[in-house]
Parts: sequence; structure tokens; C-alpha cells
Amino acid sequence: MGRFSFLLLPLLAAAAHASHLTVQSPRFSVLSSTGEQVRAEPLSLSRRPEKAVELGPSDTLKLTFTVAEKETDKGVQPHQTFLRFYDEATGEEGIQPVKISASGKAKFELNMARPPSSLPPSGEAPLKVSLLLGSFTYEPAKFDLFDLRVPESLPPPQHPDESTFHPLPEIQHTFRPEEKSPMMWISMTFLWIVLSPWLVLLFLWGQVSPSVPHLFSANTLPFTLSLILLELLIMWYWVELQLGDILLYGSGASVLAAITGKQALAAAAQRRIKGVSFQNTHQ
Amino acid sequence: MRAFSTLLAPLLALLAVAHAKSSTGDSVLVVLEPKLKKEDFSIFFGNLEKQGYNLTFRAPKDESPKVVEDGVTAFSHVILFAPDTKNLAPQSLVDLLTTKTNLLITQSTKQTPIFSLASEFSLILPPPGTPLVSHFPARDTPATVIPIDVPAHPLLTPNIPPVWFSGVPHALSNNPLLLPILHAPAESFAADTDTDSGAEAVVESADKGGEGLWAGSSLGVVTGFQTRGNARVAWVGGVDMFKDEYFKKEVSKGVKSGNEQFTRDIAAWTFQENNALRIDWTNHHLVNETTPRERYTIKEVLEFEAHISKYNPARSSWEPYSGLTDLQLDFTMLDPHIRTSLRPVVNQPGKYSATFRAPDRHGVFKFVIDYKRKGWTFLHSSTIVPVIPPRHDGYPRFLSAAWPYYAGAISTSIGFLFFCALWLAGDNREPKKGKGVKAE
Repeated sequence: MGRFSFLLLPLLAAAAHASHLTVQSPRFSVLSSTGEQVRAEPLSLSRRPEKAVELGPSDTLKLTFTVAEKETDKGVQPHQTFLRFYDEATGEEGIQPVKISASGKAKFELNMARPPSSLPPSGEAPLKVSLLLGSFTYEPAKFDLFDLRVPESLPPPQHPDESTFHPLPEIQHTFRPEEKSPMMWISMTFLWIVLSPWLVLLFLWGQVSPSVPHLFSANTLPFTLSLILLELLIMWYWVELQLGDILLYGSGASVLAAITGKQALAAAAQRRIKGVSFQNTHQ
Repeated sequence: MRAFSTLLAPLLALLAVAHAKSSTGDSVLVVLEPKLKKEDFSIFFGNLEKQGYNLTFRAPKDESPKVVEDGVTAFSHVILFAPDTKNLAPQSLVDLLTTKTNLLITQSTKQTPIFSLASEFSLILPPPGTPLVSHFPARDTPATVIPIDVPAHPLLTPNIPPVWFSGVPHALSNNPLLLPILHAPAESFAADTDTDSGAEAVVESADKGGEGLWAGSSLGVVTGFQTRGNARVAWVGGVDMFKDEYFKKEVSKGVKSGNEQFTRDIAAWTFQENNALRIDWTNHHLVNETTPRERYTIKEVLEFEAHISKYNPARSSWEPYSGLTDLQLDFTMLDPHIRTSLRPVVNQPGKYSATFRAPDRHGVFKFVIDYKRKGWTFLHSSTIVPVIPPRHDGYPRFLSAAWPYYAGAISTSIGFLFFCALWLAGDNREPKKGKGVKAE
């Protein structure tokens, strides 16, 4: 069919070379910074080693293998020979191409003192190392090699705005502490101290018995009452009233107090004049 | 019965598709380069038209229809299937985004202005001429036509079969405005060689480019980007993904590719059908009242409420949405003084409210909602409200510590009253007789 025409060539190629790749004699060795061999083992393609390969901060990992065609054991150079480092816990991945010669011999070296940029940021979990072989003429192959533990690295850098894309920590406001009043008995004590002169006054009045004959006369009572009214207005203003209202009522009450006061004073003056003239006439 | 149920599902899907519409408008401009034929994409465009979009086609070199006419954008969305065109003005595309026009952009291996525009969106592209290649899985298509498994993703419908892809990958930076939708398979890489003898070139390219080898699943193939003004862009690595032949190709025996559903989902997100939110209105008031005040006093308990809706593409309407669990409110004056979570109110869909006490600093504060999550519309709201210190009679009064002073002042007033009353009421006492005689 016309639809498949563009697939024809690789289809034929695939039909002709339905052959598989295999890895011969894979070996790895871990060398310390002094060159001393810490661990060297051959790798099995079907099973990962029991213990993960541990690399210190200055160790070197050397990996050698040969890629060959399974059927003829001839060395081949596939298009893609990659080592994939994968951290399952964080999902970070790094791909490192391996230099492979035309005869299929491959050598890979990982020096932790100068790690390649393709090594992914690593945390607690070991990195799973697998080998990817891809070719235009052979079937692709993927082999899990071993687990690798490397020293923990810094996490990948975060964009400065990244934190605003997640819930930010809550902020509470610490209020200034409420002002504390001194204890009640202190207030009561000083209250009675302030009120004590009244007691003295009342006692002395009792002794002196001042006479107030004109207290309820028609001339002085209105003034006394208007003074009491003024005082009550001021108390009301202290408790609740607003400025405009107090000025209004207060001006009215003041006028009233002035009128009645004038009357009261006139009466008092009359009494005084009468008293003096009485005195004079009765000498 | 079985035959009936197998008919029913696609029928219902068709009905659902027929009513899904965008929240920002239905006019789509498709810029199709002359090399690509409209008939090759008939299923994709047909699906869009069935959903209710009005598609207008034009070639990149055409003069009309203009995208921006007299300063007003004529289209709500633009699909750019012009990966090889060299004379597109990328700045005009960026200007479109500022007017909330959504874009669906496809790339190719050629060095075009779109190539450099992608880097403005924090996408790092491989060198030109290096398409994505994968030898895995063994299949009978060329290495550049790759089936990619589609993992679960909040934007995509679940269980999409693998999709066919052919194009360029891109590396993603850590810009949070980017939304990766589909990653390249772990075994894929970008290469420009097509025989096994190119193996050395592949290894050398790892040292060449500054980014090393473009390989692995950290590469993206389809990535979304939402600008701060809530315009959405989808960057797709190749235009072949939208072609009919890829829609119909089988990924394995009897299993059709997921390209149709996948491209529908990308279009749904890009054209603001899915995950589109908006704040309808906000209100602030004292906790016992309902009308907002012009100003508040320090340490008063305030309540802020926001009403948020989400667009429902099936009904083409905005509906109240109470599903946001991590919405936060800031009460800020230069710096946030208070940050609390806006919780959805039970039995009132779409309403979120928070109650808190105003700080004891006075000044001009703002209620700020700044909600940014990947894949969702960014919500921003800012309401200015003054907070004043208490009035002269707003402070605590009649304190127990002031009783002596109250007693003193009241005593003075009463003393004055007594004095006036006694003075006016009393008589002048006559001096003793003896003294009066002496004066004479």
C-alpha cells in the first residue's frame, strides 16, 4: 500500500537482519584515588550484583565490555551505546554515551573527582545503571547492569519563583501585649485616699452646723438647679455625648445659669444691703 | 447488547466533543504552510470544527486575514503549522500573547525564527538538523518515527494509548511557567546521523554543545507554557503528530494510536477549555456585617470572601467551583502581615472565605490573592483598604487604674456646687455686739 512505501527500506533491512546484539565480557572495577583496586567483578547480563557499587568522592569506576552480534560473535559498533543513570526516588536521569570502537570494544570511566555533567543529582537511593544499545541494522537491546551509590550531590537549582507556585507558609501577626492595669486593691486604696477629705468636711460640718436659710428660696434654687444641670451635662459628655451636641446643650444651659445666677446674686446683694441698713438704723 | 454498548460509548463521546467550547472565543486562525496540505490533517481540523470552533486558513505569506486588524486581535487562538517557514515575525506572536491569544506552535529541525523564539520560552533546543531518534522499541518505522507512551497527567484523559511522534525534542529549564506535558522516551536522543557509522559523531556531540547530549526522558516533546497574563502556548516538537496517517497508524496489533485523543487534549488546554478559572467578585467586611466599610480600625475582626468559577466546556458556561484546596490570602502593607488560607464555604459553591484580626499597625493594606499553579489559570486580585488607629473614644475607657482621678475630678465639681449653694443660701453673720461698739 502507498501508505507503507516510506517504510519499505528499513522493513527490508529489518527482515534481512533480524539479528540481536549482545554484550560480551562486561567487567567493572572500582579504583581508589591512589590507583589501588577496591573492587573488580565481571557483570552478568541477566542478574544485577547483590551489592551496589559504592564510589567515594575520589574513586574511579571503570567499565569495559564488547558489543557483538549474538549469532556470529562478531564485534559491531552500534549507533547508540548509552549508559543510563536513573534515580528511582526522584526521577532524575542522566544519559552518558560510551565510546565504542569499530570492533565493538567499549570502555567507560567515571571519575568522581571530576564527574561528568550527565550524572544526575543523587540522593539517598542508589542510581540504577543500565546499558542501551540501539542500531539501525540490529534489534535494540537494553541491559540492567548494576546499582551505583555515589556521594550525595546538591539538589538541582530551583527557579526563584518556584516557591510561589506552591502554598507558602502561613504568617500570623503577633499583637502587642494588652496593657495591664495595676491590681484592683491599689486602685481602691487610692480612691479612698482621694475621697477622705470629704469625710473630714462632713464631720466638720456636723460640728459647725452652718445655717442655710435661703437654700430653697425662689431666688437661689433655680440657680442651684441650673448648676446641677450643667454638671450633669458635663458628666453625660464624659460618658457618651459628642462635641457638637454638648456645645448645643451646654450653651443653652449656660445662658440659663447666667440668668438665674444674676437673679440669685441680686437677691443676695439685696439681703446684704438690707442687713447693713438695718444694722445702721438699729445702732 | 455488546454491539449496542460499543456503539454507545463513541456516540456519547461524540456528543461530549460536540459541545466542548473554549472560554475565550471560538475563532481560530490556522497558519498552514504551503508544503502541508489541509487534507492531511482532516481528522484534527474536523474534530475542532465539530466542537464548535470556526477555523480560518491562511498561508504564512498571505496578506489576509490579518491577525491584528486596526489594533484589535481578530482571532482568539492561532494554530501555527508552519515549522519550516523562514519569514514569520516572532515578535508579532509575542504581541498576540499579550492580548490573551492562545498559540499552538509546531517545530521542526530547520533553523527558523520559531527556533529562536522557543528559547525565549525557556525551551532549549538541540542544534538544527537533529531530530529525535529512538531505536527502541524494535519496530518497522524509521528511527525518527517514535511511539511514545503517555503516562497519566492532570491535563490528559487517562489511559491514552501510545502516540506516534516525529520531530525535535527540547530541554526544559526550571522556569515554573513551563508545564511539561509529554517527555521523550528514556532511550531516545537527538542525532543527525542515520547509519551505524555515525556512532562516533553521537559521542562527540555530547562534548560539543553546551548542554551535552540531548537524550533521555528529561527532554520534553510537548510542553505547555502559560504567560503571566494567562495566555497559553503549546510547543509541539513536530507537526506530523497531527496528521491523519499518524492518527490511523497502529502502535501494536489492533491498537490504534492515541494521537487523536492526545491532540484533542492539547488543544483543549491550549484553547482555554480546561483548567480555566476566574474570580467573579470579592468582598470584605466586618465579621458580623455584610456590607464593606470604607475603613477599618486596628484589631477588628475582618472577613474576606472570594467567589471563583471554573469554565465547564461541556456546558460552555462558567460554574462556581469549590475545588481549590490551597488558596491563600495575603493582607499586606509592603510585606505580608497576615497570610491565611481561603477555605471553601460548605453549602455555598464557589465561595471561599477567611476570617482574621487586623494587625495592630495602621496604614493602607491590601487584600491580595495571588494563586499560581501549573496548568491552571493564574488568579490575581488586590483590594486596597485603609486601617486606621482607634478614634479618641475607641480606646478602652473607665479603667480601674483611673478611679482615683475620676474621684478627684467629680469631687471638684461637687465641691463647687456645694460652695455656690452654701454661699448664696447662707446669711451674713452679724459681728459681735462688742466689736460693733468699738467701731463707733
